[in-house]
This record gives sequence, C-alpha cells and structure tokens, in this order.
Amino acid sequence: MQSEQRYAIEELIYRSCLALDAKDYTAFLALCDADFHYAITTYSPELRREQVWLDHDRGGMQTLFTNLPRHNSDHSPITRHATVYTVEPGTDSEVNVVSALQVFRTQLDGGATELFAVGRLHDTVRLNEDGAKLARRTVRLETRQLGYGYHVPF
Amino acid sequence: MAKNAAQWDSPPTFPQTHFVDSRVYTDDAIFEEEKEKLFRPSWIIACHESEIEAPFDYRLFNHPAGVPLIVVRGDDKKVRAFYNICPHRGNTILYDPAGNAKRMTCIFHQWSFDTRGNCVDISREEQGYQKRFCKADAALREVKCEVAFGGFVWINITDNCMPLREFIGGAMDILEPYMEEPMEVFHFHKARVRTNFKLWHDTNSEFYHDFLHYFNRITGMLQPGYYERRYTPFANGHATVGSMQIQYDKYEGSKERAVGWPKMAVGGWYMVDIFPGMTYNLRTSVLRIDTAIPLGPNEVLIEFRGLGLKRDTKEERKQRVFDHNMIWGPFGRNLHEDLLAVHGQGRAMHEGTGSRWVLQGREENSTIHDEVGMRHYYAEWSRRMGRPAYDPCREGKSEPVRAAA
Ligand code: FES
Ligand SMILES: [Fe+2]
Repeated sequence: MQSEQRYAIEELIYRSCLALDAKDYTAFLALCDADFHYAITTYSPELRREQVWLDHDRGGMQTLFTNLPRHNSDHSPITRHATVYTVEPGTDSEVNVVSALQVFRTQLDGGATELFAVGRLHDTVRLNEDGAKLARRTVRLETRQLGYGYHVPF
Repeated sequence: MAKNAAQWDSPPTFPQTHFVDSRVYTDDAIFEEEKEKLFRPSWIIACHESEIEAPFDYRLFNHPAGVPLIVVRGDDKKVRAFYNICPHRGNTILYDPAGNAKRMTCIFHQWSFDTRGNCVDISREEQGYQKRFCKADAALREVKCEVAFGGFVWINITDNCMPLREFIGGAMDILEPYMEEPMEVFHFHKARVRTNFKLWHDTNSEFYHDFLHYFNRITGMLQPGYYERRYTPFANGHATVGSMQIQYDKYEGSKERAVGWPKMAVGGWYMVDIFPGMTYNLRTSVLRIDTAIPLGPNEVLIEFRGLGLKRDTKEERKQRVFDHNMIWGPFGRNLHEDLLAVHGQGRAMHEGTGSRWVLQGREENSTIHDEVGMRHYYAEWSRRMGRPAYDPCREGKSEPVRAAA
C-alpha cells in the first residue's frame, strides 16, 4: 500500500471520530458510503455469547441522529481517541482497518474527565474515485458497564 | 410562593400512605436493615436456565444481601446453589462469572467440590487431619434454589423461608400464559448507578414518567387505550400492570413489531414488579428482566436481561435484538432516560442534600398514572421494616405547615 493511501485511510478514521465528538452527524455520514453499516458488538463472559448492542444501516443511523434531539440525554461531551493499528487489503477496493478506541466522558460541571469505555474499531474502508469512504464500522466494546449510559453511538 | 425551611421540612398534605420520607433512600442504618429484613428472606432471581444449559454449567451471582453464590447445573441436570466461599480458608472458589466445571476446585490449596456441594478432595487429607476432619466435614453451604416463572433461577438464602409459590402468590398470573415456551437470554449487561435501589424499582412501578420518554409518549401515551392500563397489587409487595396496544409505527425508525410473542396480541405490554427489586417487562417481542443489587444507600448495580424464544429462527432473533436495542439496550432510548432520571434523584437525594419527602399521591382509579404501585410497595416495606416509610426514624412529625396563601 502506498503511504498516501494509508494516510487517507487513517485520516478518514480520525475524521469520523472528530465528527461524532462534535455531534456533527452530517459530517459523519458524509464520510460513509451509501451502503454504510454500523454496529456495536461485545462478548459477554456472563452469557458466554456474542451480543449486538446496536445495528443500523445508513438510513437507520440517519433516523437515529434525527431522533436523538427529541430525547432526554446526558449532555456531557465524550471524546473518542482512536489509534490505527492495522490496515490490511480486503476484497476489491476495500481495506480492513483495526483501530484501538478509548472513549472519555467529561462532566459539564467542573470538567472532570473519566474513562468511559475501551474497545476497537473494525472498519471496512472503500477506496474509490472520490477518496476513502467508510463501508462498515463495527465498534467492538471491551467495556460493558456504562453507568447511566449514553445515547450517541461511539 | 416558594417555601421556607419549616414549610419544606413539614410533611406533605397527603395521607401518610401517599408520601415517603426521603431518608428511606439515604440512611445508612436503614440500608443495613433492608439487607436483613427485605433481601435476606426474599426470593431473588439469580439467572436464567438458558445461561446454565449443560450439566456442570455454572453462573456466579452476588446476592443483594451480600452473599456470593454459585448456581450450577448438576450431573443430574438439577440446578443447585451454594455459597461461593471455600470452607477451608474462605477463598472464592470460582472466579469467572460463568463456565463449566465438573469439579469446582479452589485454587488456593486445591480442595475440590462436586455439583452437589460435596467436598470430593482435600489435598493431603490424611497427613494433615488424620481422623479429626474429613471431606464430609468440608461440604459447601447450599441455599434454596428453584427454577420457575419462565425458567428463572430463584434463590433464597434463608433456610426456613416462605415457599416461592407463596411468596409470588398471584402476581405472575398475568404473565404465565406467555412464558410457557422455553426462553433464552440474548442480552445481559450491568449498570452501576449512584442512586438508591428503590428509586429504580419505583421507576419500574410508575408509568406517570412516560413523560420522560419521547418514545413512550409517541407510541403509547398518545394512543387509544393508554389510560385504561391498570395496576393490580398483590400480597408481599408485588404489583402488575396490564396491557394496551403499543403503536410502534408511530416512532420514526420503528415499525409495527414484526415478531410477536406466543399468544400475545401485537403491541401488547405486561409488567410485573416483584418485591423488593425485580421486574418482568414483556413488551411484544422481548422479555426484559431487571434485578437490582444494592451496594449502599446511594449505589445500586442493576442486572439487565433480554430474552427471546429458544426456538427463534435467526431472523426472528435478529428482530428481537433490534427491538430490544432500540429502547432497552445500553444505547437504547428509554434505558438511558430512566437511568439518567434515577441518577438525578441520587444527586439530589443523599445524606445532607436537604431532600425531605417523595410524593406518591396521584390517584386515578389505579390506572396508568396512578401512583398506587409505589404506595403498595411502601406499605409492604413499612410492614417488613417495622418502620413507617413516611416517618422511618420515628420523629413523629405530623401536622403539615402550610405555605402562606
Ligand atoms: S482456601 Fe480453598 S482450598 Fe484453601
Ligand atoms: Fe421508563
């Protein structure tokens, strides 16, 4: 892989975090391909089985983002820290990207920051004429205790 | 006009059954007493049978009274429960939350136990104990355990407790027709929240807070039949809420639930609140079970389970998981709202905040926005605790100080 390609892929991952941190859902979806698919999964050692905690296509994500402002939500901002670990060729013009993910939450009152969750981003990135786009994202959570929770997907 | 200190501290102008003193949520001594008087004698849900399907499968559970437990399926398929405490030097016997163990062996000195609670091996037994102590002296402490009411594993750590059927009484009648087919847990997570466990159970016992949930306002409150849902109180502090037709398609991105539940009308919704801190919540395609495990007056760990049918096809299960996640998953719309609200109560209501009373005064013929569910709970709470919830520290404040007109 050429270094410009790797650079474009990494920037796509990081921009996706910046957009979601800013709750700029339009910017986030602009980074996603038409058939984008998003999921949050985790393994439960208690059940000894895989769990899916969120599963949406692009339309589902769009609807979720439209609905969220109608709900009562925690307003403290979260900050996603991603580090791209591996970039490997997939099928055709797709590459598989694995990144480490840490999510921090900062209290509005006083600004104390706590570690909220750790996990990995398993992304499929499609490289085409207009650059790199997210085709699939699976947020693989290690953390399963999220206190009183959060509405915005990681 | 706003209230001064005397007015704020004076009891509400309701009958004493219609409010509680907020110290029931904040006082350390009351909390310790609750563990003894509410949790220790009660039947508690530890897990579901589908979590320990095969012989030797086990699951750990921390009992709300504080006791660490092992729930294990025996070689004879019977489910039993034991203290997860080694009789030798008190080590934890099993460490992982679930697994399969033909022999439960303590890592410390390798004493070993079978699934019936017998000690089957003591390392260098003869050499150390000669004839003074043997395996028969080193059995595990077994607690009462029954699989019932939808295949849940119910535990009671008090040997001479009331039988489970008597404890539940008729409270599960409303749900039992829908729990005849084998079910399976597909979702489990825990949430630790700085609030009192009863505030979570209260939230599960009143629907007036549908105002908190955009989803419920749209799919329920604005729909015909909503105000006809009724509370029914049962002995021992339990209560149920009957069904209505939920119009899931009124929420953008949701649709009429494609997979239903055997025998239940599409859009049906039944709830059963079990004293002192468990809830069955069957909403069309998913059964949700909450188990509250108090950690302190202002801290609770809630275990959430989502269940479907064991016979689900892959597609059916996928739809149930989707429905569950939309409102009840860790990123679901309603769960975060409920947790955020009780977290807020915990912020405003702990030692020293000045919180004094919690009102439970709504009367609407026992229909959906009536607060009779909570009142019924606190009647049982007061009986078991030997303290009235309206005056738990027995200060005898009685006459309200009315605000100036
Ligand atoms: S403490 Fe368990 S074998 Fe010694
Ligand atoms: Fe709620």
